[in-house]
Amino acid sequence: MSTNLNKFIMADPNKCIGCKVCEVACSVAHADKEAITVGMIDTPLITRLYLVQTASVTMPIQCHHCEDAPCAQVCPVGAITQTRDRIIIAEKDCIGCKTCLMACPFGAIDFVPIYENGEAAIQNGLQVEIEDRMLEKQMVVASKCDLCAGYDGGPACVMACPEKALEMIVPKAQKKKRNIDAAMNLLESVKRYNG
Amino acid sequence: MGEEIVRVTGLEANPIIQIDQELCTGCQRCVTVCPVDAIEGPKGKPQTIRQDLCVACGQCVQICSAYASAFDEDIAPREQKMAERGLLPSVKEPLFAAYNSGDGLRVKAALADSSLFTMVQCAPAIRVAIAEEFGLPLGSLTHGQMATALRKLGFSRVYDTNFAADVTIMEEGSELIQRVTTDGILPMFTSCCPAWVKYVEQTYPELLPHLSSCKSPQQMAGVLFKTYGAQVGGVEAAEIFSVAVMPCTCKKFECDRPEMDDSGYRDVDVVITTRELAQLIKDAGIDFIHLAEEEFDQALGNYSGAGTIFGVTGGVMEAALRTGYELMTKQAIPELDINFVRGGEGIRKASVKVGDLTLKVAVVAGLKNARVVMEQIKAGQADFHFIEVMCCPVGCVSGGGQPKVILPSDKKRSHANRTANTYVHDKNLPLRKSHENPDVQKLYETFLGEPLGHKSHHLLHTQFVSRK
Repeated sequence: MSTNLNKFIMADPNKCIGCKVCEVACSVAHADKEAITVGMIDTPLITRLYLVQTASVTMPIQCHHCEDAPCAQVCPVGAITQTRDRIIIAEKDCIGCKTCLMACPFGAIDFVPIYENGEAAIQNGLQVEIEDRMLEKQMVVASKCDLCAGYDGGPACVMACPEKALEMIVPKAQKKKRNIDAAMNLLESVKRYNG
Repeated sequence: MGEEIVRVTGLEANPIIQIDQELCTGCQRCVTVCPVDAIEGPKGKPQTIRQDLCVACGQCVQICSAYASAFDEDIAPREQKMAERGLLPSVKEPLFAAYNSGDGLRVKAALADSSLFTMVQCAPAIRVAIAEEFGLPLGSLTHGQMATALRKLGFSRVYDTNFAADVTIMEEGSELIQRVTTDGILPMFTSCCPAWVKYVEQTYPELLPHLSSCKSPQQMAGVLFKTYGAQVGGVEAAEIFSVAVMPCTCKKFECDRPEMDDSGYRDVDVVITTRELAQLIKDAGIDFIHLAEEEFDQALGNYSGAGTIFGVTGGVMEAALRTGYELMTKQAIPELDINFVRGGEGIRKASVKVGDLTLKVAVVAGLKNARVVMEQIKAGQADFHFIEVMCCPVGCVSGGGQPKVILPSDKKRSHANRTANTYVHDKNLPLRKSHENPDVQKLYETFLGEPLGHKSHHLLHTQFVSRK
């Protein structure tokens, strides 16, 4: 029985300035072609974390790698699994039914095309009817944060953020830290009362 | 010499740098890098640029990360934005909130116009950066392939800004010596950085006489294209279309300055950035990385190492010293690599023994740092003979038009690599001093006469205007 809780990345809304460097870094880290300069990017940017900007809050939202991931529970083709220490979507198996999008309380799942060698992957059978013509339809699959599995050096968004607002959360360590902080606070109060 | 009336045209009518109000998230990273505090707006809301203050340096363009998502249905379509920005339809890279006006289409049209004799010049900083847009490592030096690509694009003459940089040293070195020996206005400032020049014009117009009267290498090259270059090429000046490829967005402003027409025509018809040149090369289907290396065209294309180091902070100073020392003492400078003027962002000061004279120099990189020196001059406390000022963090290699590095963590490395390879290029060139460039000598002997002479003054020197 494993007691290891999945790590996940979370932003600090007090530090986030809404610059979207995290989104750009995420896109580039997952693209099939390396790009150091903007001029080297020749496909649309596809991010797996999503900046939310309202009057009261600015921060990106991304997958929590839930222990009892609802996306995995509902996927009718079993495309979402716990692989070692993270929840992973197998793009090849995804049919684009969007049940996972509905199940996720964080909205962490988006549906996006797949780009290989600068071109969008096209569906074999399904086509689109536009003004009496049948045109190709791009493949569209579920996509979400995968903690940069397969990317050297750790999560791209965490490293790229100029404000250091993104952190890889280690749940047990966080819990322990909070326990200790709480005990320290209580210590002060108890001292005062009990003398 | 008659009084020339210099007309004032600012950026308000034709802004070069703009912020797309649909894309800007108000993160204000641009505000932190703007050297003249020209960007305003509340945090979290779209920012706007005060075009009366903007010096079009493009540092905001380099840092902006608020991109247009291809999947966002609430913003104008990509095609519309690309048209607004003057981008070639074949461009695939993402669009960001802060952007510069595009002139690639004008260059493409000129290259297709058989009635035009196109001449092109590239700044020193291009050759240590353009390859990055084709996947080569940051700072890769590719001057030979750059020349080949320009020829394949169809330019009639592939000349070089570095040649003109050598000419600038002849004029500016002579001007410095003249000011030093005849009690002229000191300290003298370099005038090749157009953002710096605009800054002086709008913030310290009373100190304009301190600026060297020399034009920038870009503008010297342009006017020489349509006079000397016309002669050499056996073409009419009216047929020449003069293009400059620059690491700088402000050079677009400089080429359109009304007074920059001493050839009788616009000396530089259009400026495109390093990024725009890469886009043109891709648009033409040229496989840059696998090109063979070629030479620049004679007459206005050969250069010394002194010319190529103009692209980095301290480079103009070092080039000027290599020549100035010899002009004054009639002896070669003992050490060609003048390390104490090299460095990064900030203010560097040095004293150089030139014969009996102790020349006091300063190098400023980063326009914000210039204010300190200007205040010192006003207080009568600036004990310098010559000061180089560059607006951008480490000089032109870090300019607003250079390939835009995606990750903040790669920015420093891009600056360091481009700078390092600039000095490597210099060290490996057969010529390292501007005055030893035989094509520069020929230009003076057969066409210009003497530095600071009548013809030089008319073609290669300029006036500035108060914008206050």
